[in-house]
Amino acid sequence: MNTVEEIFAVLDEKFGAKRETLDKWGTTAVISASYLHTAVQFLKEKSDIKFEMLVDIAGIDYLTYPNHEGPRFAVSYAFKSMSKPGTRIRLKVLVSEEDLKVPTISDLYANANWYEREVYDQFGVVFVGHPDLRRLLNHVEFVGHPLRKDYPAQKRQWLSTNDYLLPELEKRLETLGYKVVQRSKEVETNDNEFLEGSIKE
Amino acid sequence: MIVLDPNGEKLNLMPLNVGPSHPATHGCLRFLTAMDGETIVASVEEIGYLHRGFEKMVERGTWQQVIPYTDRLNYCSAIMNNIAFCRAVENMFQVDIPERCKVLRVIVNELSRINDHFVCVAAAFQDLGGTTPFMYAFNPREEIMCIWEKLTGARLTNSFARIGGLSRDSYDGFEDDVRAALNSTEKALKDLHACLDRNRIFLDRTVGIGKISAEKAISYGWTGPCLRASGVASDLRKDEPYYDYETYDWEVVVGTQGDCNDRLQVRLAEIEESVKIVRQALLRLAPGPVDIVDPRIRVPAHKLAYQDMEGLIGRFKSVYEGVRVPEGEYYCGSECANGELGFTIISDGSGHPYRIKVRPPCLTQFAAFHELVEGGLLADSMAVLSGLNIIAGELDR
Repeated sequence: MNTVEEIFAVLDEKFGAKRETLDKWGTTAVISASYLHTAVQFLKEKSDIKFEMLVDIAGIDYLTYPNHEGPRFAVSYAFKSMSKPGTRIRLKVLVSEEDLKVPTISDLYANANWYEREVYDQFGVVFVGHPDLRRLLNHVEFVGHPLRKDYPAQKRQWLSTNDYLLPELEKRLETLGYKVVQRSKEVETNDNEFLEGSIKE
Repeated sequence: MIVLDPNGEKLNLMPLNVGPSHPATHGCLRFLTAMDGETIVASVEEIGYLHRGFEKMVERGTWQQVIPYTDRLNYCSAIMNNIAFCRAVENMFQVDIPERCKVLRVIVNELSRINDHFVCVAAAFQDLGGTTPFMYAFNPREEIMCIWEKLTGARLTNSFARIGGLSRDSYDGFEDDVRAALNSTEKALKDLHACLDRNRIFLDRTVGIGKISAEKAISYGWTGPCLRASGVASDLRKDEPYYDYETYDWEVVVGTQGDCNDRLQVRLAEIEESVKIVRQALLRLAPGPVDIVDPRIRVPAHKLAYQDMEGLIGRFKSVYEGVRVPEGEYYCGSECANGELGFTIISDGSGHPYRIKVRPPCLTQFAAFHELVEGGLLADSMAVLSGLNIIAGELDR
Protein backbone atom coordinates (compact mmCIF):
# COMPACT_ATOMS: atom_id res chain seq x y z
CA MET A 1 0.00 0.00 0.00
CA ASN A 2 1.28 3.41 -0.87
CA THR A 3 1.32 5.38 2.34
CA VAL A 4 1.95 8.72 0.65
CA GLU A 5 -1.46 8.13 -0.88
CA GLU A 6 -2.94 7.72 2.59
CA ILE A 7 -1.35 10.97 3.71
CA PHE A 8 -2.76 12.64 0.65
CA ALA A 9 -6.19 11.30 1.62
CA VAL A 10 -5.82 12.85 5.08
CA LEU A 11 -4.71 16.16 3.53
CA ASP A 12 -7.76 15.98 1.29
CA GLU A 13 -10.06 15.37 4.22
CA LYS A 14 -8.55 17.95 6.58
CA PHE A 15 -7.43 20.73 4.28
CA GLY A 16 -9.33 20.12 1.08
CA ALA A 17 -6.21 19.30 -0.90
CA LYS A 18 -6.59 18.48 -4.57
CA ARG A 19 -4.29 16.27 -6.57
CA GLU A 20 -2.09 18.06 -9.07
CA THR A 21 -2.67 16.15 -12.28
CA LEU A 22 0.43 17.65 -13.86
CA ASP A 23 2.62 15.70 -11.46
CA LYS A 24 2.46 12.27 -13.04
CA TRP A 25 5.53 10.95 -11.30
CA GLY A 26 4.92 11.68 -7.64
CA THR A 27 2.33 13.10 -5.26
CA THR A 28 1.60 16.80 -5.29
CA ALA A 29 -1.25 18.25 -3.26
CA VAL A 30 -2.67 21.61 -4.27
CA ILE A 31 -3.71 23.43 -1.15
CA SER A 32 -5.19 26.84 -0.47
CA ALA A 33 -2.88 29.43 1.05
CA SER A 34 -5.01 29.76 4.18
CA TYR A 35 -4.41 26.11 5.11
CA LEU A 36 -0.74 26.02 4.15
CA HIS A 37 0.79 26.63 7.56
CA THR A 38 -1.40 24.10 9.40
CA ALA A 39 -0.95 21.55 6.64
CA VAL A 40 2.84 21.87 6.73
CA GLN A 41 2.79 21.67 10.51
CA PHE A 42 0.67 18.52 10.23
CA LEU A 43 3.13 16.97 7.77
CA LYS A 44 6.07 17.83 9.95
CA GLU A 45 4.75 16.86 13.35
CA LYS A 46 1.55 14.82 13.33
CA SER A 47 1.16 12.70 10.23
CA ASP A 48 1.95 8.95 10.15
CA ILE A 49 5.06 9.58 8.11
CA LYS A 50 6.75 12.70 9.36
CA PHE A 51 8.33 14.94 6.77
CA GLU A 52 11.20 16.41 8.74
CA MET A 53 13.02 18.04 5.87
CA LEU A 54 11.99 20.84 3.58
CA VAL A 55 13.88 20.09 0.40
CA ASP A 56 12.96 22.98 -1.82
CA ILE A 57 10.60 25.87 -2.48
CA ALA A 58 10.11 26.80 -6.12
CA GLY A 59 8.15 29.68 -7.55
CA ILE A 60 6.34 29.24 -10.85
CA ASP A 61 4.91 31.87 -13.20
CA TYR A 62 2.24 30.45 -15.52
CA LEU A 63 1.91 33.59 -17.67
CA THR A 64 2.90 31.96 -20.96
CA TYR A 65 1.97 28.37 -20.09
CA PRO A 66 -0.24 27.02 -22.88
CA ASN A 67 -3.95 26.70 -22.01
CA HIS A 68 -3.38 27.62 -18.40
CA GLU A 69 -6.40 28.57 -16.36
CA GLY A 70 -6.44 29.95 -12.87
CA PRO A 71 -4.03 32.07 -10.87
CA ARG A 72 -0.84 33.25 -12.50
CA PHE A 73 1.67 32.23 -9.85
CA ALA A 74 2.32 29.12 -7.80
CA VAL A 75 4.71 28.22 -5.02
CA SER A 76 5.72 24.60 -4.86
CA TYR A 77 7.12 22.99 -1.71
CA ALA A 78 9.03 19.71 -1.72
CA PHE A 79 9.35 17.71 1.49
CA LYS A 80 11.10 14.50 2.32
CA SER A 81 10.90 12.19 5.26
CA MET A 82 13.99 11.36 7.28
CA SER A 83 12.32 8.75 9.49
CA LYS A 84 11.07 6.85 6.45
CA PRO A 85 13.74 7.44 3.81
CA GLY A 86 12.64 7.62 0.23
CA THR A 87 9.22 9.13 0.99
CA ARG A 88 8.50 12.46 -0.58
CA ILE A 89 5.50 14.71 -0.96
CA ARG A 90 5.01 18.07 -2.56
CA LEU A 91 2.58 20.84 -1.77
CA LYS A 92 1.56 23.56 -4.14
CA VAL A 93 -0.13 26.86 -3.43
CA LEU A 94 -1.68 28.86 -6.22
CA VAL A 95 -1.29 32.62 -5.91
CA SER A 96 -3.10 35.19 -7.97
CA GLU A 97 -1.39 38.30 -9.24
CA GLU A 98 -3.77 40.61 -7.35
CA ASP A 99 -3.11 39.00 -3.99
CA LEU A 100 0.51 37.86 -4.00
CA LYS A 101 0.56 36.59 -0.44
CA VAL A 102 1.49 33.24 1.07
CA PRO A 103 1.95 32.55 4.78
CA THR A 104 5.52 31.86 5.80
CA ILE A 105 6.69 28.48 7.06
CA SER A 106 10.06 29.81 8.20
CA ASP A 107 9.02 29.20 11.81
CA LEU A 108 8.72 25.47 11.06
CA TYR A 109 11.79 24.88 8.89
CA ALA A 110 14.96 26.90 9.35
CA ASN A 111 15.91 26.77 5.67
CA ALA A 112 12.53 28.13 4.58
CA ASN A 113 13.87 31.55 5.49
CA TRP A 114 16.29 31.69 2.56
CA TYR A 115 14.09 29.75 0.16
CA GLU A 116 11.22 32.17 0.71
CA ARG A 117 13.54 35.11 0.26
CA GLU A 118 14.58 33.61 -3.06
CA VAL A 119 11.00 33.20 -4.28
CA TYR A 120 10.23 36.75 -3.17
CA ASP A 121 13.32 37.95 -4.99
CA GLN A 122 12.64 36.14 -8.25
CA PHE A 123 8.83 36.36 -8.41
CA GLY A 124 7.73 39.02 -5.95
CA VAL A 125 5.57 36.68 -3.88
CA VAL A 126 5.22 38.12 -0.38
CA PHE A 127 5.53 35.67 2.49
CA VAL A 128 3.38 36.98 5.31
CA GLY A 129 5.09 36.75 8.68
CA HIS A 130 8.58 36.26 7.29
CA PRO A 131 11.09 37.82 9.70
CA ASP A 132 13.42 39.26 7.11
CA LEU A 133 11.99 39.37 3.60
CA ARG A 134 14.81 40.76 1.47
CA ARG A 135 16.26 39.82 -1.87
CA LEU A 136 18.59 36.84 -1.75
CA LEU A 137 20.31 36.30 -5.09
CA ASN A 138 19.68 39.57 -6.86
CA HIS A 139 21.18 42.83 -5.90
CA VAL A 140 19.73 45.18 -3.32
CA GLU A 141 19.28 47.89 -5.95
CA PHE A 142 17.66 45.56 -8.48
CA VAL A 143 14.22 46.61 -9.74
CA GLY A 144 11.65 43.98 -10.76
CA HIS A 145 11.48 40.23 -10.43
CA PRO A 146 13.61 38.53 -13.07
CA LEU A 147 12.08 35.06 -13.26
CA ARG A 148 8.65 36.40 -14.12
CA LYS A 149 7.90 35.54 -17.71
CA ASP A 150 7.31 39.19 -18.62
CA TYR A 151 10.75 40.28 -17.41
CA PRO A 152 12.94 40.59 -20.51
CA ALA A 153 16.00 38.39 -20.22
CA GLN A 154 18.32 40.85 -21.91
CA LYS A 155 17.37 43.81 -19.73
CA ARG A 156 20.29 45.45 -17.95
CA GLN A 157 20.38 47.51 -14.80
CA TRP A 158 23.02 49.65 -13.16
CA LEU A 159 23.94 48.13 -9.83
CA SER A 160 26.61 49.98 -8.00
CA THR A 161 27.08 49.07 -4.39
CA ASN A 162 27.12 46.31 -1.81
CA ASP A 163 24.25 45.28 0.35
CA TYR A 164 23.98 47.43 3.47
CA LEU A 165 23.81 44.51 5.98
CA LEU A 166 24.41 46.67 9.07
CA PRO A 167 20.72 46.91 10.01
CA GLU A 168 20.53 43.12 9.54
CA LEU A 169 23.50 42.67 11.81
CA GLU A 170 21.78 44.77 14.48
CA LYS A 171 18.64 42.69 14.02
CA ARG A 172 20.63 39.50 14.40
CA LEU A 173 22.25 40.84 17.60
CA GLU A 174 18.81 41.58 18.97
CA THR A 175 17.53 38.06 18.26
CA LEU A 176 20.55 36.79 20.17
CA GLY A 177 19.52 38.83 23.21
CA TYR A 178 21.79 41.83 22.78
CA LYS A 179 20.52 45.37 22.89
CA VAL A 180 22.06 47.99 20.64
CA VAL A 181 22.69 51.14 22.68
CA GLN A 182 24.68 53.15 20.22
CA ARG A 183 24.77 52.47 16.52
CA SER A 184 27.86 52.30 14.45
CA LYS A 185 29.12 55.78 13.63
CA GLU A 186 30.21 55.23 10.07
CA VAL A 187 26.84 54.07 8.79
CA GLU A 188 23.47 55.68 9.06
CA THR A 189 20.62 53.39 8.07
CA ASN A 190 18.71 56.16 6.31
CA ASP A 191 21.66 57.06 4.18
CA ASN A 192 19.94 57.81 0.88
CA GLU A 193 23.10 58.31 -1.05
CA PHE A 194 24.14 54.78 -0.21
CA LEU A 195 20.89 53.30 -1.44
CA GLU A 196 20.93 55.41 -4.60
CA GLY A 197 24.33 53.99 -5.46
CA SER A 198 27.70 55.49 -6.13
CA ILE A 199 27.47 55.81 -9.90
CA LYS A 200 26.08 59.22 -10.82
CA GLU A 201 25.02 60.45 -14.21
CA MET B 1 28.65 49.85 18.07
CA ILE B 2 27.89 49.71 21.77
CA VAL B 3 25.53 47.00 22.94
CA LEU B 4 24.26 45.51 26.16
CA ASP B 5 24.78 41.76 26.26
CA PRO B 6 22.04 39.42 27.61
CA ASN B 7 23.43 39.88 31.14
CA GLY B 8 23.18 43.65 30.84
CA GLU B 9 26.90 44.20 30.50
CA LYS B 10 28.14 46.92 28.17
CA LEU B 11 30.20 45.77 25.20
CA ASN B 12 31.90 47.67 22.43
CA LEU B 13 31.57 45.60 19.28
CA MET B 14 33.37 46.18 16.06
CA PRO B 15 31.54 45.45 12.79
CA LEU B 16 33.95 43.63 10.52
CA ASN B 17 33.27 42.86 6.90
CA VAL B 18 34.69 39.62 5.45
CA GLY B 19 34.66 39.11 1.72
CA PRO B 20 33.25 39.12 -0.93
CA SER B 21 36.70 38.88 -2.47
CA HIS B 22 38.80 37.23 0.18
CA PRO B 23 41.31 34.43 -0.43
CA ALA B 24 39.48 32.14 1.98
CA THR B 25 35.93 32.88 0.78
CA HIS B 26 36.20 30.54 -2.19
CA GLY B 27 34.26 32.12 -4.98
CA CYS B 28 32.53 35.22 -3.76
CA LEU B 29 30.86 35.14 -0.37
CA ARG B 30 30.43 37.97 2.04
CA PHE B 31 29.58 38.06 5.68
CA LEU B 32 29.41 40.93 8.11
CA THR B 33 30.37 40.13 11.68
CA ALA B 34 30.10 41.93 14.99
CA MET B 35 33.37 41.25 16.78
CA ASP B 36 34.11 41.29 20.47
CA GLY B 37 37.89 41.15 20.33
CA GLU B 38 38.62 38.00 18.33
CA THR B 39 35.21 36.44 18.97
CA ILE B 40 32.33 36.59 16.54
CA VAL B 41 29.20 37.69 18.41
CA ALA B 42 26.85 37.83 15.44
CA SER B 43 27.16 37.26 11.73
CA VAL B 44 24.98 37.88 8.69
CA GLU B 45 25.69 36.66 5.19
CA GLU B 46 25.13 38.04 1.75
CA ILE B 47 25.21 35.82 -1.31
CA GLY B 48 24.51 36.38 -4.98
CA TYR B 49 27.86 37.68 -6.19
CA LEU B 50 28.02 34.87 -8.73
CA HIS B 51 24.34 34.99 -9.64
CA ARG B 52 24.14 34.76 -13.39
CA GLY B 53 20.50 33.85 -13.89
CA PHE B 54 20.85 30.13 -14.62
CA GLU B 55 17.11 29.61 -14.28
CA LYS B 56 16.32 32.47 -16.68
CA MET B 57 18.94 31.39 -19.22
CA VAL B 58 17.76 27.80 -19.48
CA GLU B 59 14.22 28.92 -20.34
CA ARG B 60 15.53 30.37 -23.59
CA GLY B 61 17.12 27.24 -25.04
CA THR B 62 16.19 23.66 -25.76
CA TRP B 63 16.34 20.87 -23.22
CA GLN B 64 19.74 19.70 -24.44
CA GLN B 65 21.12 23.21 -24.18
CA VAL B 66 20.57 23.13 -20.43
CA ILE B 67 23.32 20.54 -20.00
CA PRO B 68 26.39 22.79 -20.41
CA TYR B 69 24.85 25.27 -17.99
CA THR B 70 24.59 22.58 -15.34
CA ASP B 71 28.37 22.06 -15.51
CA ARG B 72 28.78 25.52 -14.09
CA LEU B 73 26.77 24.73 -10.99
CA ASN B 74 29.30 22.75 -9.00
CA TYR B 75 32.35 23.17 -11.18
CA CYS B 76 34.47 20.87 -9.01
CA SER B 77 32.41 17.89 -10.14
CA ALA B 78 30.85 19.15 -13.35
CA ILE B 79 29.82 15.86 -14.94
CA MET B 80 27.92 14.85 -11.84
CA ASN B 81 25.57 17.80 -12.31
CA ASN B 82 24.70 17.01 -15.88
CA ILE B 83 24.14 13.37 -14.99
CA ALA B 84 21.73 14.55 -12.28
CA PHE B 85 19.88 16.73 -14.76
CA CYS B 86 19.74 14.07 -17.48
CA ARG B 87 18.46 11.58 -14.93
CA ALA B 88 15.62 13.93 -14.02
CA VAL B 89 14.60 14.35 -17.65
CA GLU B 90 14.93 10.63 -18.39
CA ASN B 91 12.68 9.91 -15.42
CA MET B 92 10.09 12.21 -16.96
CA PHE B 93 10.29 10.21 -20.18
CA GLN B 94 10.14 7.06 -18.04
CA VAL B 95 12.83 5.41 -20.09
CA ASP B 96 15.59 3.14 -18.91
CA ILE B 97 19.12 3.81 -20.12
CA PRO B 98 21.32 0.94 -21.39
CA GLU B 99 23.39 -1.06 -18.92
CA ARG B 100 26.76 0.20 -20.16
CA CYS B 101 25.56 3.79 -19.85
CA LYS B 102 24.49 3.15 -16.25
CA VAL B 103 27.85 1.65 -15.30
CA LEU B 104 29.79 4.40 -17.05
CA ARG B 105 27.70 7.01 -15.29
CA VAL B 106 28.41 5.36 -11.94
CA ILE B 107 32.15 5.37 -12.66
CA VAL B 108 32.14 8.99 -13.79
CA ASN B 109 29.93 10.00 -10.87
CA GLU B 110 32.18 8.44 -8.29
CA LEU B 111 35.37 9.77 -9.88
CA SER B 112 33.78 13.23 -9.76
CA ARG B 113 32.93 12.70 -6.11
CA ILE B 114 36.54 11.76 -5.41
CA ASN B 115 37.66 14.91 -7.21
CA ASP B 116 35.24 17.12 -5.38
CA HIS B 117 36.10 15.76 -1.95
CA PHE B 118 39.82 16.08 -2.66
CA VAL B 119 39.38 19.73 -3.61
CA CYS B 120 37.38 20.35 -0.45
CA VAL B 121 39.86 18.71 1.91
CA ALA B 122 42.86 20.21 0.12
CA ALA B 123 41.38 23.71 0.19
CA ALA B 124 40.43 23.34 3.84
CA PHE B 125 44.01 22.48 4.65
CA GLN B 126 45.30 25.32 2.55
CA ASP B 127 43.06 27.78 4.39
CA LEU B 128 44.45 26.57 7.69
CA GLY B 129 47.97 27.11 6.43
CA GLY B 130 49.08 23.64 5.32
CA THR B 131 50.32 23.40 1.75
CA THR B 132 51.64 19.82 1.72
CA PRO B 133 48.27 17.99 1.83
CA PHE B 134 47.13 20.22 -1.00
CA MET B 135 49.78 18.67 -3.23
CA TYR B 136 49.00 15.14 -1.99
CA ALA B 137 45.33 15.59 -2.90
CA PHE B 138 45.95 17.26 -6.21
CA ASN B 139 48.14 14.49 -7.62
CA PRO B 140 45.32 11.92 -8.05
CA ARG B 141 42.96 14.76 -8.95
CA GLU B 142 45.26 15.61 -11.83
CA GLU B 143 45.07 12.01 -13.06
CA ILE B 144 41.29 12.15 -12.98
CA MET B 145 41.42 15.49 -14.79
CA CYS B 146 43.47 13.82 -17.51
CA ILE B 147 40.78 11.15 -17.81
CA TRP B 148 38.23 13.95 -18.22
CA GLU B 149 40.36 15.49 -20.93
CA LYS B 150 40.50 12.24 -22.87
CA LEU B 151 36.84 11.54 -22.26
CA THR B 152 35.29 14.95 -22.98
CA GLY B 153 37.99 17.24 -24.29
CA ALA B 154 37.75 19.62 -21.35
CA ARG B 155 39.16 19.68 -17.86
CA LEU B 156 36.91 21.67 -15.61
CA THR B 157 33.49 22.47 -17.05
CA ASN B 158 33.04 19.33 -19.08
CA SER B 159 29.69 17.89 -20.11
CA PHE B 160 29.56 14.21 -20.74
CA ALA B 161 26.00 13.05 -20.12
CA ARG B 162 23.22 13.55 -22.61
CA ILE B 163 19.49 13.03 -22.26
CA GLY B 164 19.15 9.32 -22.97
CA GLY B 165 22.81 8.43 -22.99
CA LEU B 166 26.31 9.85 -23.08
CA SER B 167 27.97 12.20 -25.51
CA ARG B 168 30.31 9.36 -26.52
CA ASP B 169 31.50 5.97 -25.36
CA SER B 170 34.68 5.69 -23.32
CA TYR B 171 38.03 5.63 -25.13
CA ASP B 172 40.49 2.75 -25.51
CA GLY B 173 42.47 2.34 -22.33
CA PHE B 174 39.85 4.05 -20.17
CA GLU B 175 39.74 1.19 -17.68
CA ASP B 176 43.52 1.21 -17.24
CA ASP B 177 43.55 4.96 -16.69
CA VAL B 178 40.79 4.67 -14.09
CA ARG B 179 42.61 1.85 -12.28
CA ALA B 180 45.81 3.88 -12.22
CA ALA B 181 43.92 6.89 -10.86
CA LEU B 182 42.33 4.72 -8.17
CA ASN B 183 45.73 3.44 -7.11
CA SER B 184 47.12 6.92 -6.70
CA THR B 185 43.91 7.97 -4.95
CA GLU B 186 44.48 5.27 -2.36
CA LYS B 187 48.09 6.30 -1.94
CA ALA B 188 47.07 9.93 -1.53
CA LEU B 189 44.49 8.91 1.07
CA LYS B 190 47.21 7.25 3.13
CA ASP B 191 49.38 10.35 2.86
CA LEU B 192 46.47 12.61 3.77
CA HIS B 193 45.55 10.53 6.80
CA ALA B 194 49.18 10.64 7.88
CA CYS B 195 49.06 14.44 7.66
CA LEU B 196 45.65 14.83 9.23
CA ASP B 197 44.74 12.28 11.81
CA ARG B 198 47.27 13.05 14.53
CA ASN B 199 48.27 16.52 13.47
CA ARG B 200 47.96 18.56 16.64
CA ILE B 201 47.60 21.90 14.88
CA PHE B 202 44.95 20.61 12.52
CA LEU B 203 42.98 18.91 15.30
CA ASP B 204 43.11 22.02 17.48
CA ARG B 205 41.77 24.05 14.62
CA THR B 206 38.93 21.70 13.63
CA VAL B 207 37.76 19.46 16.49
CA GLY B 208 34.68 20.92 18.15
CA ILE B 209 34.62 23.85 15.75
CA GLY B 210 31.40 24.70 13.94
CA LYS B 211 29.34 22.00 15.62
CA ILE B 212 25.78 21.35 14.52
CA SER B 213 23.33 18.82 15.93
CA ALA B 214 21.50 16.34 13.72
CA GLU B 215 18.09 17.95 14.44
CA LYS B 216 19.31 21.38 13.51
CA ALA B 217 21.06 20.12 10.39
CA ILE B 218 17.83 18.44 9.27
CA SER B 219 15.83 21.56 10.01
CA TYR B 220 18.24 23.53 7.85
CA GLY B 221 17.76 20.98 5.10
CA TRP B 222 21.35 19.79 5.10
CA THR B 223 22.15 16.84 2.90
CA GLY B 224 25.22 14.96 1.80
CA PRO B 225 28.51 14.63 3.71
CA CYS B 226 27.76 17.60 5.97
CA LEU B 227 24.56 15.98 7.26
CA ARG B 228 26.22 12.58 7.54
CA ALA B 229 28.99 14.16 9.64
CA SER B 230 26.27 14.96 12.19
CA GLY B 231 25.44 11.27 12.42
CA VAL B 232 22.46 10.93 10.07
CA ALA B 233 22.94 8.02 7.67
CA SER B 234 21.09 9.64 4.80
CA ASP B 235 22.30 9.01 1.29
CA LEU B 236 20.08 9.03 -1.77
CA ARG B 237 22.21 6.32 -3.35
CA LYS B 238 20.91 4.01 -0.61
CA ASP B 239 17.53 5.60 0.19
CA GLU B 240 16.25 6.05 -3.35
CA PRO B 241 18.71 3.95 -5.32
CA TYR B 242 19.34 4.63 -8.98
CA TYR B 243 21.82 3.19 -11.48
CA ASP B 244 21.91 -0.01 -9.35
CA TYR B 245 23.82 1.69 -6.54
CA GLU B 246 22.12 -0.69 -4.11
CA THR B 247 23.82 -3.68 -5.75
CA TYR B 248 27.33 -2.39 -5.16
CA ASP B 249 29.07 -3.28 -1.93
CA TRP B 250 29.70 -0.03 -0.05
CA GLU B 251 28.79 1.71 3.20
CA VAL B 252 27.26 5.05 4.06
CA VAL B 253 29.85 6.99 6.06
CA VAL B 254 28.61 8.81 9.15
CA GLY B 255 30.35 11.04 11.65
CA THR B 256 29.59 11.48 15.32
CA GLN B 257 30.28 15.06 16.35
CA GLY B 258 29.08 17.14 13.45
CA ASP B 259 32.08 19.41 13.73
CA CYS B 260 34.50 20.67 11.14
CA ASN B 261 36.89 17.76 11.59
CA ASP B 262 34.08 15.23 11.08
CA ARG B 263 32.95 16.91 7.89
CA LEU B 264 36.43 16.57 6.43
CA GLN B 265 36.99 13.03 7.71
CA VAL B 266 33.63 11.91 6.33
CA ARG B 267 34.71 13.19 2.95
CA LEU B 268 37.98 11.26 3.10
CA ALA B 269 36.13 8.09 4.11
CA GLU B 270 33.65 8.63 1.29
CA ILE B 271 36.52 8.72 -1.16
CA GLU B 272 37.41 5.23 0.05
CA GLU B 273 33.84 4.06 -0.55
CA SER B 274 33.83 5.65 -3.99
CA VAL B 275 37.03 3.81 -4.85
CA LYS B 276 35.28 0.57 -3.85
CA ILE B 277 32.28 1.36 -6.05
CA VAL B 278 34.42 2.26 -9.07
CA ARG B 279 36.46 -0.94 -8.76
CA GLN B 280 33.26 -3.01 -8.78
CA ALA B 281 31.80 -0.99 -11.61
CA LEU B 282 34.89 -1.56 -13.75
CA LEU B 283 34.27 -5.29 -13.48
CA ARG B 284 30.69 -4.82 -14.67
CA LEU B 285 31.66 -2.66 -17.64
CA ALA B 286 30.64 -4.85 -20.58
CA PRO B 287 30.56 -3.80 -24.22
CA GLY B 288 27.22 -2.54 -25.44
CA PRO B 289 25.34 0.55 -26.57
CA VAL B 290 25.47 3.69 -24.42
CA ASP B 291 22.55 5.53 -26.01
CA ILE B 292 18.84 4.91 -26.13
CA VAL B 293 17.72 4.17 -29.68
CA ASP B 294 14.87 6.65 -29.95
CA PRO B 295 15.28 9.75 -32.10
CA ARG B 296 12.67 11.54 -30.00
CA ILE B 297 14.94 11.40 -26.93
CA ARG B 298 18.53 10.88 -28.03
CA VAL B 299 19.81 12.41 -31.23
CA PRO B 300 20.73 9.66 -33.78
CA ALA B 301 24.42 8.98 -34.36
CA HIS B 302 26.17 11.41 -36.66
CA LYS B 303 26.92 8.89 -39.40
CA LEU B 304 23.21 8.08 -39.71
CA ALA B 305 22.53 11.66 -40.72
CA TYR B 306 24.41 11.07 -43.96
CA GLN B 307 23.08 7.61 -44.76
CA ASP B 308 19.56 7.45 -43.49
CA MET B 309 16.59 9.75 -44.05
CA GLU B 310 15.13 9.01 -40.63
CA GLY B 311 18.49 9.75 -39.03
CA LEU B 312 18.68 13.09 -40.82
CA ILE B 313 15.18 14.05 -39.74
CA GLY B 314 15.91 12.93 -36.18
CA ARG B 315 19.05 15.03 -35.98
CA PHE B 316 17.41 18.04 -37.54
CA LYS B 317 14.35 17.97 -35.29
CA SER B 318 16.37 17.28 -32.21
CA VAL B 319 18.73 20.18 -32.82
CA TYR B 320 16.18 22.72 -33.99
CA GLU B 321 13.19 21.85 -31.87
CA GLY B 322 14.73 19.98 -28.97
CA VAL B 323 13.39 16.86 -27.35
CA ARG B 324 9.77 17.08 -26.33
CA VAL B 325 9.66 16.26 -22.66
CA PRO B 326 6.20 15.10 -21.50
CA GLU B 327 4.09 17.86 -20.01
CA GLY B 328 4.07 18.00 -16.24
CA GLU B 329 5.81 18.97 -13.05
CA TYR B 330 8.46 16.84 -11.49
CA TYR B 331 11.06 16.99 -8.75
CA CYS B 332 14.10 14.73 -8.90
CA GLY B 333 17.03 14.80 -6.51
CA SER B 334 20.35 13.02 -6.97
CA GLU B 335 23.17 12.48 -4.52
CA CYS B 336 25.96 14.76 -5.63
CA ALA B 337 29.27 15.46 -3.95
CA ASN B 338 27.86 18.17 -1.71
CA GLY B 339 24.46 16.64 -1.10
CA GLU B 340 21.13 16.46 -2.81
CA LEU B 341 21.13 18.31 -6.10
CA GLY B 342 17.49 18.61 -7.08
CA PHE B 343 15.74 19.83 -10.18
CA THR B 344 12.12 20.97 -10.08
CA ILE B 345 11.13 20.77 -13.71
CA ILE B 346 8.01 22.30 -15.24
CA SER B 347 7.49 21.15 -18.80
CA ASP B 348 4.75 22.40 -21.10
CA GLY B 349 5.41 19.60 -23.57
CA SER B 350 7.46 21.72 -25.95
CA GLY B 351 11.12 21.49 -26.87
CA HIS B 352 12.05 24.22 -24.40
CA PRO B 353 11.97 23.94 -20.62
CA TYR B 354 9.18 26.07 -19.17
CA ARG B 355 10.90 26.40 -15.84
CA ILE B 356 13.76 24.62 -14.11
CA LYS B 357 14.44 25.29 -10.46
CA VAL B 358 17.71 24.07 -9.06
CA ARG B 359 17.99 23.00 -5.48
CA PRO B 360 21.68 23.51 -4.76
CA PRO B 361 22.99 21.56 -1.75
CA CYS B 362 25.27 24.44 -0.74
CA LEU B 363 22.49 26.93 -0.18
CA THR B 364 21.01 25.17 2.83
CA GLN B 365 24.46 24.65 4.30
CA PHE B 366 25.47 28.26 3.93
CA ALA B 367 22.12 29.39 5.35
CA ALA B 368 23.22 27.91 8.68
CA PHE B 369 26.65 29.53 8.55
CA HIS B 370 25.93 32.19 11.18
CA GLU B 371 24.89 29.54 13.70
CA LEU B 372 28.16 27.71 13.17
CA VAL B 373 30.50 30.65 13.58
CA GLU B 374 28.80 32.70 16.30
CA GLY B 375 30.70 32.35 19.55
CA GLY B 376 33.84 31.17 17.81
CA LEU B 377 36.97 32.96 16.75
CA LEU B 378 37.20 34.79 13.46
CA ALA B 379 39.98 32.46 12.32
CA ASP B 380 37.71 29.47 12.98
CA SER B 381 35.10 30.82 10.59
CA MET B 382 37.55 30.08 7.77
CA ALA B 383 37.91 26.48 8.93
CA VAL B 384 34.11 26.17 9.06
CA LEU B 385 33.64 27.72 5.65
CA SER B 386 36.05 25.45 3.87
CA GLY B 387 34.69 22.39 5.71
CA LEU B 388 31.22 23.11 4.33
CA ASN B 389 32.60 23.17 0.79
CA ILE B 390 30.52 26.10 -0.42
CA ILE B 391 30.75 26.27 -4.21
CA ALA B 392 29.61 29.71 -5.28
CA GLY B 393 28.67 28.42 -8.74
CA GLU B 394 25.77 26.40 -7.41
CA LEU B 395 25.09 28.60 -4.40
CA ASP B 396 24.30 31.64 -6.54
CA ARG B 397 23.32 30.01 -9.83
